[in-house]
Amino acid sequence: MKIRLNGQEREARAGESILDLCRRENVPVPTFCYHQAFGGQGACRMCMVEVKEEGQKQARLVAACTYPLNTPVEITTESEHIQRVRRTIVMLLARRAGSHPLMKEMAEHYDVSPLSAITVQPPNCILCGLCIHACEEMGKSAIWSMFRGVDKRIATPYDEASDDCIGCAACARVCPTQAISLEEKDAVRIIWNKQFEMIACKRCGKYYATQEELEYLKERSAYGQDNLCESCRKKNLAINMKNFS
Amino acid sequence: MQIALEEYEHTDDYRALIENYPGQPQHLLAIMQDVQKQYNYLPRLAISMIAEHVGMPVSRVYAMASFYKAFSLVPKGRYVFRVCDGTACHIKNSEVLLDQLQQSLGIGTGQTTADGMFSVETVNCLGACALAPVMVVNGKVYGKVTPGDVGKIIKEYGGQEHDS
Amino acid sequence: MTANSDDHHRKTVLVCCGTGCTANGARDVFHAFQTKLKDHPEIDVQPVIKATGCNGWCEKGPLVRIMPEDITYCSVAAKDVDEIVEKTLLEKVLIKRLLYRDPISKEQLTSHHMTDFYRKQHKIALRNIGEIDPGQIDDYIERRGYQALTKALQQMQGQELIDTVKAAGLRGRGGGGFPTGRKWQACRDAQGEPKYIICNGDEGDPGAFMDRSIMEGDPHTVIEGMILGAYAVGASRGYIYVRDEYDLAVQNLGQAIKDARARGILGEKILGSEFSFDIELVRGGGAFVCGEETALMASIEGRTGEPRDKYVFPTEKGLWGKPTVINNVETWANVPVIILDGAEKFAAVGTESSKGTKVFSLVGKVVNTGLVEVPMGTTLREIIYEIGGGVLKKRAFKAVQTGGPSGGCIPASLLDLPIDFDSLAAAGSMMGSGGLIVMDDHTCMVEVARYYVNFLAGESCGKCTPCREGIRALLEILTGICSGQGRMEDLQVMEDICLTMQEASLCALGRTAPNPVLSTLRYFRDEYVEHIENQFCPAGVCRDLTTFYIDPEKCTGCTLCAKHCSVNGIKGEKKQPHVIDESLCIRCGECYRVCTFDAIKLARRDRNEN
Repeated sequence: MKIRLNGQEREARAGESILDLCRRENVPVPTFCYHQAFGGQGACRMCMVEVKEEGQKQARLVAACTYPLNTPVEITTESEHIQRVRRTIVMLLARRAGSHPLMKEMAEHYDVSPLSAITVQPPNCILCGLCIHACEEMGKSAIWSMFRGVDKRIATPYDEASDDCIGCAACARVCPTQAISLEEKDAVRIIWNKQFEMIACKRCGKYYATQEELEYLKERSAYGQDNLCESCRKKNLAINMKNFS
Repeated sequence: MQIALEEYEHTDDYRALIENYPGQPQHLLAIMQDVQKQYNYLPRLAISMIAEHVGMPVSRVYAMASFYKAFSLVPKGRYVFRVCDGTACHIKNSEVLLDQLQQSLGIGTGQTTADGMFSVETVNCLGACALAPVMVVNGKVYGKVTPGDVGKIIKEYGGQEHDS
Repeated sequence: MTANSDDHHRKTVLVCCGTGCTANGARDVFHAFQTKLKDHPEIDVQPVIKATGCNGWCEKGPLVRIMPEDITYCSVAAKDVDEIVEKTLLEKVLIKRLLYRDPISKEQLTSHHMTDFYRKQHKIALRNIGEIDPGQIDDYIERRGYQALTKALQQMQGQELIDTVKAAGLRGRGGGGFPTGRKWQACRDAQGEPKYIICNGDEGDPGAFMDRSIMEGDPHTVIEGMILGAYAVGASRGYIYVRDEYDLAVQNLGQAIKDARARGILGEKILGSEFSFDIELVRGGGAFVCGEETALMASIEGRTGEPRDKYVFPTEKGLWGKPTVINNVETWANVPVIILDGAEKFAAVGTESSKGTKVFSLVGKVVNTGLVEVPMGTTLREIIYEIGGGVLKKRAFKAVQTGGPSGGCIPASLLDLPIDFDSLAAAGSMMGSGGLIVMDDHTCMVEVARYYVNFLAGESCGKCTPCREGIRALLEILTGICSGQGRMEDLQVMEDICLTMQEASLCALGRTAPNPVLSTLRYFRDEYVEHIENQFCPAGVCRDLTTFYIDPEKCTGCTLCAKHCSVNGIKGEKKQPHVIDESLCIRCGECYRVCTFDAIKLARRDRNEN
């Protein structure tokens, strides 16, 4: 259906989020907790935009990542008002992750007047929740957001090594502020207080996955039974495909 | 997760409580409440068994246990002193009662004495506002509690005041 | 048999066993009556003894009422029961000392209905509480219970019910004030099966206990309301979500559901109709945020109570993604009356925008603490002074806090505000669930703001940045101000954060969390300034900024303060001026509050002392 985006008429797909539309139309909307793989969470509130709905006299602020487009609305993604909200969000998150380059850049961009830093666990975590989604999708949901209110933090049960953690490190890779500690030395990986033995690629010798990760992959699919790392598997595939032509 | 060997002695008891309900997430709260009521906290093995029963990861059951105030991950004291911190009680100086308790028992709010006898907590408004400030000990309600009453109430439960 | 039984010769003794009276020994009174009459079957009069729900007048409890004479005895103890039986029941003689005595006219009143506290009330939601035994479904039925349901099932269609509720103008009583009829219509029109009805019994506002009283004292009105709602929208399953801390409510609702099922009022083919509906009781886990409807539904589904954005309403996609109507306890309690007596009668009471009555819990520094049900549009002054009896100890009125942690403080200048949804919002507060907390000049408004923010710091779900981090920052600043570390710039920082919280938070908890801060800044800014610039707490509450001393000119040596001092920190001879020992003083303020000679004074705390 037709909607107005920053004064321009655009075509929106029924039910898609404002953020999806903006990304497709190359209209930038800042986010922290959005990832294409997981959709909108509505947690960081950085993506707030103004929306004027049919029959309403005034526009209101809504989260672009969760607001579904089902009626012809008018969307504004930039204004002084919106800038102010973004600035405050960055100011608040910078207390948690102020030392990280991403946060420093954001704080500078929005001309933030800093508040005192606070110590959080894990350090630099902005509670975007992307790690939780990654673990749910790629792993066995070993981590979740625990406690509530100002004490909320991401952790394994009892902060101990979790039986469910397969050491895939999807969480660490998706984290925007590198908050998740990932230690790798030779054949050992340590993450979330758990030690893992790494398996070497039989072609190039690189340590590419944990034993538990491969076993879990085996449960879920036939994929990955070849003990090849990602790049070697691709090379293998390329060779095989060459043989077809 | 690390589970102490002793806990396995209770396996059948936990199972009896847990299997009272169908294994679906919507029964999670009720199951956890039953276990909490029986054991005064949620033992690790119970959490593990509950997760299996409802088909959810342990992390999510732990998240439930840590999110909701009804649950305790560590055993509570035999007598739990709950000071209501609802607004009516607060403006009638319930904080002073908390201070008295903390001083007398030597523990902070949310803590339990080393001998496992006493815990001190604040509790959300109980709706007995006409009796503010209110204190509840194991279900018994004390109304219009003054700082001077605190010591007497502690003694009722066999406690002794700290030498302040 | 209820108090309204036609058999006037049959006496009934109603013993209020609400939480307040129970805490004061009402159960002992109840048992004393039972025992006395059981042990003496020869006693001519054998009344029916009922343990009822909360009468609302908790200040004067335990309350005992005798019908049909309509005698009310206050502050009854178990030891008074023999006398009551012998004198009042048998000899029809009133026991004067147990009657309520009006503090101004000094008149003794036989019935609570004659007191200011009750006379000005108009009971709809609370109509049965204190009159029935909640464990007896027949008590409810005798007082027109389930007649609305019968009428609806036999004579009305679902849409008609919705039209009636719309015409009545009923708005949600839980705090949102959303038009109930519109909500039901949206659910009826939505696609999806099964549809759900939920009762939000997660009353969490500190100082509010009206829902508790209804769930404890008249559970059937909630059930009847829900069945009517289900019939109206086409729902087949219902849930009552009760706050974990409300043991008695859980018990009484559970019993009522069982009793209703046994009578064919819940379950398959209700009262012989084609309509089927049943209710399940869910006990909350102890989380204030679960009063928010999407968090409540998450909780029922077995998840943590994190709300979601409500760009799509629960009436379209609610519990398990299905169309759901969720209403507050008090809202449901009004429904049977609206259906039975019609929309016009209901709409005749109240204001233009807010029809009907509202139950308020009047608590704090007020003489008559308790539950009050009045027509919308009654002014704050009427409630606090005429019904509530004014401020305790005749101290100066400072503010009344309405709407709980989502609300604000209203100063004396606005006491003539007629209470309805819109007027309170315009004044920077909100009706909320109906908590009215009266504050006197011994209340520090900065500390009140800090208190509410502290409450929310633990109750916020923690998911979204503005609420979680905003509350954290506000709490740090307010705690700093209360301990003498505030700076004037802090006020601007707070206002900025508050604005973002109002506009960007995920749910109403975060959006309204700034209200206590903003309303106290609006009406009591001078107190903030006093704390920051003068390092002084004019109310004598903030202990880092206060010290107490005794004015020897005014002190009469009555020793009252010394008796109340819990650290034995006040010394003096009888009839001689007393002295506070600074080294022992914990600055709790008890002496300051009990002194009747205004002899105890406040002073700034010397920052050099340790």
